[in-house]
Amino acid sequence: MKRNEELNKSKLPIVKTDRSLDKYKKRVLFKKKLEKANETLRSVGLPKGLQKSKA
Amino acid sequence: MMLPQYDLTSDKGLTVFEFVSVGKKGKIPKIVQYSETEKKGTFNLGFGDKCLQTDEFDDTVISNNGDTKKVLATVAATVYAFTDEHPEASIYAKGRSKSRTRLYRMGLTGVLSEIVKDFELYGLRDGGWHEFVKGVQYDAFLIKRRS
Repeated sequence: MKRNEELNKSKLPIVKTDRSLDKYKKRVLFKKKLEKANETLRSVGLPKGLQKSKA
Repeated sequence: MMLPQYDLTSDKGLTVFEFVSVGKKGKIPKIVQYSETEKKGTFNLGFGDKCLQTDEFDDTVISNNGDTKKVLATVAATVYAFTDEHPEASIYAKGRSKSRTRLYRMGLTGVLSEIVKDFELYGLRDGGWHEFVKGVQYDAFLIKRRS
């Protein structure tokens, strides 16, 4: 029962692995959004707090 | 508080997630993909509908399936799953439209007290990043799991 209680409290979802989704791993499914994200990040960079943690 | 959410499946690396929205318009397959940007370690959150016939994806469609809260809670669950597997990653999220970005903000605001315990949360406004504050409009969001 402890395991069930832990799972209920956990914020981690239960995720089933579906190997058929592996085919998307190297394919960008939302290209325009990724391009726009790159444009924005090139322009404004990352928050200062994150720059420190990534350094 | 745990919100109702849909069952998730993912690829082995936990970068692509799939679930099925069930509502007044029927069953709509949804996909979430985390794609690395030019900033190493920063991933774009892509989210949209999957067309089963063409295997194409559409992040412009408004499904209006009557389950927005459950869908947002499920997308939020993928953030937990992705960052559990990739704890150093930061996630960039922006809606396809202002209304969609506003929807994301409302979703974040609704679970803010829980999220801030686990994540650093920033909003993009006036050309710069700011710590996320309830009620403020942002152009995009960036989140990172607290270490």
